[in-house]
Amino acid sequence: MFLAALTSGDYGRVPPDAALVHRLLQRDVRAFEEIYDRHSRAVYGLVLRILQQAGTAEEVVQDVFLQLWRNAGRYDEQRGPFVPWLLTLARNRALDTLRLKSERQRRREDQTEELPPITTAPEYEKALDEKRRCERVRALMASLTPQQKRAIELAYFEGLSHTEIAAALREPLGTVKSWIRNGLLRLKEGLQATT
Amino acid sequence: MSNLDQFREVAEAYALGALDAEERAAFEAHLASGCPECEKALAEARWLVSQLAYLAPEAAPSQELKERLLRSVSGEARVVPMAAPKKPAVPFWLWAAVAALVVLAVYSSWQAHDLQKQISGINEQARAEIQKREKLERDLVAFKQEATMRAIVTNPESTRIMLMPSKKDMPTLEAKWHSQLGLVVTGYEVPKLSGNRVLQLWLIPKDRDAKPKPSITFWPEHDGRLAKLIANPPEAMPDVKALAVTEEPAGGSAQPTSTPIWVGAVS
Repeated sequence: MFLAALTSGDYGRVPPDAALVHRLLQRDVRAFEEIYDRHSRAVYGLVLRILQQAGTAEEVVQDVFLQLWRNAGRYDEQRGPFVPWLLTLARNRALDTLRLKSERQRRREDQTEELPPITTAPEYEKALDEKRRCERVRALMASLTPQQKRAIELAYFEGLSHTEIAAALREPLGTVKSWIRNGLLRLKEGLQATT
Repeated sequence: MSNLDQFREVAEAYALGALDAEERAAFEAHLASGCPECEKALAEARWLVSQLAYLAPEAAPSQELKERLLRSVSGEARVVPMAAPKKPAVPFWLWAAVAALVVLAVYSSWQAHDLQKQISGINEQARAEIQKREKLERDLVAFKQEATMRAIVTNPESTRIMLMPSKKDMPTLEAKWHSQLGLVVTGYEVPKLSGNRVLQLWLIPKDRDAKPKPSITFWPEHDGRLAKLIANPPEAMPDVKALAVTEEPAGGSAQPTSTPIWVGAVS
């Protein structure tokens, strides 16, 4: 299950993600394989959703996991959970591939500064069960207006800016901004209310 | 709405990557100026945006991808393991400062040692130069003496004085006296003297009432040779009747304390 892949706590006595990532620093191939088995479906699902093309998506997933293998030290468990960090990395890579396939962009692919910034989970998020949060996110998104949901998806999965979304949807820029802002606020409030 | 509120409101759109270039630059400039509220808002916005990944349905990549990845990482695992990034207990700048001090101390010590060595070397060189100069001076004096002695001995105007021994087993000494250059006494196979005894030359005046005039003291070389120059004899040659040599204590005497061993008349 996708949810299981995102939920370290569901593994019982198995080592947490952070411990596995730490073992990557010691070049532990078995730890790498375990991380891959846990999260590759989530990463691939996200990348495929963005790129819509299986071959390219697999190339990106390969890049993401190789970057994790080579730059595991960049992840600091004190500053945030692993899975959002990994998925943000995957999204950034996928959007880069989607937007720019120029030589210049390809040269940037190995640069470590492309690693995502650490996200800090708010207190209300820390208390929320991973599996329930996933269900809640999907439910909350389903409760948005179709315009809000579409605008957010265009920004998140296709990497479009406010102006580009306005052009794609043939709507005023201010309206698009409001849809995105209000939609995200509703999502945030909904997650807060869940706790 | 204040500027701060406006910036806080765009934090989600920024985290989503939806801001247009101009707005993005303005927000990044605001962050760079140091705004803890917006930093916090952005950290939460990033978290919120990361939750959107749940919207994508999970999908299984091919088995080939996993095999390819494992081959890659297994290959890389055979090289030297990465060093775990650890926060140093002592900040780097402190290590750098300590290292700089150590280097400076070692350098100073080495420099002091080197300076001391240089000073010792210079002193040594100076001593050697002084010794060399002293030797040259001695050589020069010896050379001058030898030249004067040679000049006296070979000069036809010099007066030859044979100093006859008072004992049969003693060799005869020879003196040559030039009125301007001086007096030279030479001899061979002269026996060694006992203890601190030395030989002393006396000039016996023609005046019967006058006492013998003490001259220099000397002693034979280890091979029995004797060669001594008296550059300025205390008496003029015409006033001297004879030359005599006695054995005296070290430093010589004002008056002869022993019977002359050698005596020679100045003709």
